[in-house]
Amino acid sequence: MNSTPAMLNRILLTVLGLILLGTGILLVLLAAVPSVASWWHAWSGGVWAGIARLFDSTRFPGRPESWLWIVVALALLALMGLMVAWIAQQGKGRSNLLAAEYDPGETPGDVRIGGGVAEQALKQALEGRPDLAGATVTTYDVKGTPALKVRLLPRQGVAPHLLAAEVSGLLHALESVVGKEVPVLIHIGAGARTRFSRAERVR
Amino acid sequence: MRRVLYRETHSSRAAVSVAAAILVLVLAAYGVLESGVHAVGQPAWLIEPQVAAQRIVDLPAGISPLLLAAIGAVLAMLGLIFFLNGVLPGKRARHLLAGAPGEGLPAVVVDDEVIASSLARRARLAANVTPEQVMVVVSQRQVLVNVRPTSGIPVDQDRVLEAVRDELDQMLLEPAPVPRVNVTASGVIGA
Repeated sequence: MNSTPAMLNRILLTVLGLILLGTGILLVLLAAVPSVASWWHAWSGGVWAGIARLFDSTRFPGRPESWLWIVVALALLALMGLMVAWIAQQGKGRSNLLAAEYDPGETPGDVRIGGGVAEQALKQALEGRPDLAGATVTTYDVKGTPALKVRLLPRQGVAPHLLAAEVSGLLHALESVVGKEVPVLIHIGAGARTRFSRAERVR
Repeated sequence: MRRVLYRETHSSRAAVSVAAAILVLVLAAYGVLESGVHAVGQPAWLIEPQVAAQRIVDLPAGISPLLLAAIGAVLAMLGLIFFLNGVLPGKRARHLLAGAPGEGLPAVVVDDEVIASSLARRARLAANVTPEQVMVVVSQRQVLVNVRPTSGIPVDQDRVLEAVRDELDQMLLEPAPVPRVNVTASGVIGA
């Protein structure tokens, strides 16, 4: 539900995986097959000679070093920056605001309702239920609009569709209190707490 | 909302992505260090870049083939992990709950484990056995109900199937799995 860049993750992982896979297979072939080794000598020798000539032609005037090294260092720094940005993109999206609206009444200003309102109200409503081992409510920001995620941990043997219908009744009540339709995702899950707790017998 | 549902029914690549990014980050940091040191004309930290390149060019020589093959195998394995993580669909063991039309149900995602325990309860009541005698396996398109009857008391397979199908019809799962009931030949004594 968060805004992890799923497509970007897949593309970058695929590209990196292919590069590593190709390098690894090449190394194994180099060690195992002699004919690959002779081809590699011819091919990489040519490439390396070309690169060396490039470095020779880009020396600082009067000094043995090439300024191409600085370019390489800068390019690698840029790559590092991109990687840090990529990591920073993972798992963002939690928010704290449930609704924000301009108030057309006599008092000037906006009305803002924090996500804590929904979280506390729903938690309170779900607390006493015998068929739930736990419930968490979180507010997310999905493409600019606030959304709620309700995670329910029912005890063993609880019918998920009945539970979902009852909780959606609670959500409708919450929506009428807030005065705004909020997209909701209900996730009925299982965890260690539900697996080892007793089954619900009476309902 | 469709995007959110996709998110919830497919596994996240965030952890693998962070690992890959850190790997590239470390390699790039080393590259920056060496090329920066070289650019200002200082001696290299670990290995001179030109020397390293020359070693790579005449590779099969200068290193034992066993070590080279091992390094290659490790790299290929790492690459395969990243590649498969990027390409495979990565479906989670979850179903969507469609809900009856007109009911106005919000988007609901259910773990297969919850569905299985609910179906097991229903099958257990229909077969009149204890919870330990029923095992339900829920997969993307199939529900398999295994019942071990109490020895001496036969279990009506059709009744169990009917009960499970009724429960599934009420759930309206998406994608809808097909139920199958399997009553084992050997019974349980004293249950």
